[in-house]
Amino acid sequence: MRPAAPATIALEGVTRTYGHGADEVPALRGVDLTIAPGEFVSVEGPSGCGKTTLLNLLGLLDAPTTGVLRWGGRPVGDRSDRERTRLRLEGVGFIFQRFYLLPTLTARENVELPMRALGVGRAERARRASGLLGEVGLTRRERAYPHQLSGGEEQRVAVARALANAPGLLLADEPTGELDSGNTQAILDLLVRVRAARSATLVLVTHNPEVAARARRHLGMLDGKIVRDARDA
Amino acid sequence: MRGFGTSGRLRHTRLQAVLAVAAMGAAVALPVVLVSVGGGVYDHEIASIQNAGYQIAVSSAGSHSITGAHADVARFGAVAGVTYVSPVLSIAVTAFNTTGAATAVLAEGVIPGEFEPTLGSTESGLFPSPLPLGDPTDRIHYANGTYSGPATYDVLVSSPFAQAYDVRTGDALALGLTANASSAVRYNVTGTFGVPPSIIGPIGAFAIVLPLSDLQVMTGYANGTGTIVPDAVDTIQIVVTGHVATDPSALESVRAQIQTLVPYYGVSSLGQEAAQLQAADSVLTGFDLALSSVGIAIGLLFLALVLFRRVESDRRAIGIRRAIGLPARSIAAGIVGDGLVLAAGGAAVGLFGGFLLVTFLAHFASSTVQEAAQLAVFDPRMLAELAAAVLALSVVASLAATRSALRLDLSEALR
Ligand SMILES: Nc1ncnc2c1ncn2[C@@H]1O[C@H](COP(=O)(O)OP(=O)(O)OP(=O)(O)O)[C@@H](O)[C@H]1O
Ligand SMILES: [Mg+2]
Repeated sequence: MRPAAPATIALEGVTRTYGHGADEVPALRGVDLTIAPGEFVSVEGPSGCGKTTLLNLLGLLDAPTTGVLRWGGRPVGDRSDRERTRLRLEGVGFIFQRFYLLPTLTARENVELPMRALGVGRAERARRASGLLGEVGLTRRERAYPHQLSGGEEQRVAVARALANAPGLLLADEPTGELDSGNTQAILDLLVRVRAARSATLVLVTHNPEVAARARRHLGMLDGKIVRDARDA
Repeated sequence: MRGFGTSGRLRHTRLQAVLAVAAMGAAVALPVVLVSVGGGVYDHEIASIQNAGYQIAVSSAGSHSITGAHADVARFGAVAGVTYVSPVLSIAVTAFNTTGAATAVLAEGVIPGEFEPTLGSTESGLFPSPLPLGDPTDRIHYANGTYSGPATYDVLVSSPFAQAYDVRTGDALALGLTANASSAVRYNVTGTFGVPPSIIGPIGAFAIVLPLSDLQVMTGYANGTGTIVPDAVDTIQIVVTGHVATDPSALESVRAQIQTLVPYYGVSSLGQEAAQLQAADSVLTGFDLALSSVGIAIGLLFLALVLFRRVESDRRAIGIRRAIGLPARSIAAGIVGDGLVLAAGGAAVGLFGGFLLVTFLAHFASSTVQEAAQLAVFDPRMLAELAAAVLALSVVASLAATRSALRLDLSEALR
């Protein structure tokens, strides 16, 4: 598979406010941030500070309320819904905080889904899905449905699905939240390895300092703002 | 508790699917029954017209004397191509069988020798041949505008009538114009005739056939007393032969000549009547379909609601697919596909259900409905078109649900 080359992603004065009137929740309150292709970024911060909201914007699932979000220099708002959908399919691997596996599909079908949408042939799909599930240690759970899996197993299926189309941008929302330390290391190693092999961009939200320590750049968020942006030497 | 939640929702979804299929099924069954039965009855009537032994019918709403009937036979018979002219005068009489039981029946006065050739292929098998009515030309009793010679007093009865009132060939049957048995006149039953399976066919309507002028014996008019029998219905059936029978324009020319002889009567060729029935059938079918479209609209509305509900309860799953990057068209195809599956189920249930219903009616319904159901014709093309239309419309019905699925706010759906 041709890996989609990661783009530079830039946020300029981005805010995101949910709800209207009295129910208004300002989740992001003015974020300026540029992420270069191939960077490995960790995002830390207390619950509710806007980490997931930031990832959704980076992954084109959501649009800023104000400010500009650019992919490869071009404002994302200029692109049609169809183009953004295509970019997500080819270029973004999302590991959702709540996994978001499709309950009616087996583990392998969940992993195959993005490849199917991309028109990958049946045999190739099956081969790659099995390979990915093997890498996350789930070879024997391929045919299980999400409700038959433990939280950690679901999370690992979600990781495998995010890697299915070899995306240039990996967005991981606490990808090890449900895992023991052994699996945490294994998944992290996998993500790091994949990132290195494809020079993909990896943005990883975590509460675990050990996990954050693996990144090269460390963002700290508080109340919808980026309050720390440190790079390892 | 996830397991419980999932199976509960699954049951819910299944129930909705069953209801949607049932609603569509009922909506489709209605036109299947209406059009198949209605079309079948018309087809049958058209076939019986095309099977008739005569080609032109003259009708008048007025009173018509036997003198006039015989005169018309002579006048119409003189038109080139015309071979038989059969006046048929219908009148309600009271029949008294040997036990004296009185029944009101419709009697048909005919000129036996003219009447027999007007019987179509099916009908002629139902009558004894030659007709045992003694007086083929109706001239023993009637000649030159006067009554001379003895009436034959011969009468044929329909076999259902014979069975119902226990009348046999050789029995006496008293007929009168009133329910007063003392003024009735004795006739001899010389035979029975069968009744073809027809709902509005000409023969099913009457129970007694007798020579035309023998009708007058009933009133004493033939003997110089009493009044002339007023005829309730007047029809003269005309048989043509040779090229006139096969050439529509020649037939039309004969019809026109007869029309000029009796400008105040209705003169129609059966071809025209068949065409009119055909037109009426089309109008009825159109009306049936229009009526059914109301039912189908309701079925589709139901389908649309069910699909809409599905999208509502599948917001999360749809959101996930969208988030992964599945194209809008694949989401839309999923919903339209769901709609098509439900509509196809409904169409199948409706077609099969309609067929079963008609079959059921053909066996167990009351007499008229049963007869009509037995005549039902299932036109495969019409049924296929109906199913195709329902499928096509189901795509329209799934638009609302598709629209709402595609407008889903991802950050909302993935909360
Ligand atoms: N769709 C939404 N509608 C309304 N409010 C929302 C929505 N999504 C998030 N919020 C609110 O926006 C704020 C930021 O949410 P977000 O999910 O980005 O936080 P987070 O940093 O990911 O938290 P956590 O660590 O608990 O996952 C929170 O106050 C949350 O309640
Ligand atoms: Mg979060």
